[in-house]
Amino acid sequence: MAHDTALVFPGMGPVPFAEVGRFMVASPFARDLVDIADDALGYSLVDAFRTSPGDYSEAAQVAFLVNCLACAHWARAHLGIEPGIVAGPSFGEKAALAHTGALELPDAIRLTAEIARCLEEYFATEHRDIVTLSFVRAPRDGLDAILADLDEAGEWHEISCHIDDGFLMVSLSEHRVTWMEERLRGIGSLPLYTMRPPMHASAFRSLRAKAEREVVSRYTFADPSLPVVADQDGRVLRTGQEVRTMLLDGFDHPMSWPSVTTALKEAGVRRLCVAGPDSLFGRVPRTTRTFDVVAAPPRLAMTPRRRTRAA
Amino acid sequence: MWDDRFEETVRPFLPFLAPRQQLTPEDGLKDLGLDSLGTVQLLGTLEDAYQVRFRDSALTMDTFRTAGVLWDTVQGMLHTTAS
Repeated sequence: MAHDTALVFPGMGPVPFAEVGRFMVASPFARDLVDIADDALGYSLVDAFRTSPGDYSEAAQVAFLVNCLACAHWARAHLGIEPGIVAGPSFGEKAALAHTGALELPDAIRLTAEIARCLEEYFATEHRDIVTLSFVRAPRDGLDAILADLDEAGEWHEISCHIDDGFLMVSLSEHRVTWMEERLRGIGSLPLYTMRPPMHASAFRSLRAKAEREVVSRYTFADPSLPVVADQDGRVLRTGQEVRTMLLDGFDHPMSWPSVTTALKEAGVRRLCVAGPDSLFGRVPRTTRTFDVVAAPPRLAMTPRRRTRAA
Repeated sequence: MWDDRFEETVRPFLPFLAPRQQLTPEDGLKDLGLDSLGTVQLLGTLEDAYQVRFRDSALTMDTFRTAGVLWDTVQGMLHTTAS
């Protein structure tokens, strides 16, 4: 079955409270979801987000989830976005689960908060020296030579995210970052930033087990109301069991955006709506070359829109 | 100061720079709205515009800190190419 429109929930990046706070309290689409979040969490999401330090606090993660879902509701009401298929790279998986009803919203909110705590606990003691380095325009043969040198030196490393041609994220030991950046520059690549905590690597199998044991096993996953594209390999998922596995695979399997875009294209998608704050997935050439991209960020949802007069 | 082509190339990547607002060498490009992906796109656009290739020490986010630093980098590559 062909799907003309896809809804994509972006991976999470730093979103300061100042950028979305007004959206959360003033947009009716966000406010309804924030109320549900407050009940599910037992505290005020807006207050916690405003006062929590760090870009990836528990409250920041739940706020990102809620804002993405609110943007999807806004895009449906104001832009006529009726998706036939859904994807959520990296953190976006959680919003995809909530939007398709695989998890009820209060459950998706609690699960997001609990996974955030689980990550914090885990990386407080494990893999403290590992970060994820992102870089662009790295030719494959040049990158392979650098990774081979790491292998030869006995340095653990793994590709955690493949975003676009030459645009990747590699997890490695922090003490190798400066060396890696130098080598990348030598092949004409631009290193962008490092992220901590790292994600999406087979070394985090014990994190996956901890998250499954302490969080995921306590929730029931229904069959999603729309097909969901797995962000690891582009498989089209239709059952609760499959999307549960996708969520767990997110801990210890690399994310592949090219696999997602290929799957969406093969499913017949021509228009792709990115719901939420996004500075990446809706903008990379692979996406813009393949689809008509409709961005639905909180900023746009707060822009007064002129009413169109009926003909 | 820089040539017209530099400013014409850079301005579209600075959403917070008003059309009539002057761009000065001290202006922080991040403050004017240049984000990571914008940096990547600006890099490629400058390479096409000036027929140069950013390499090695030029390939850092610091190169894109201010308009002045970025122009110095481009100018340096032009001199290297010409000599």
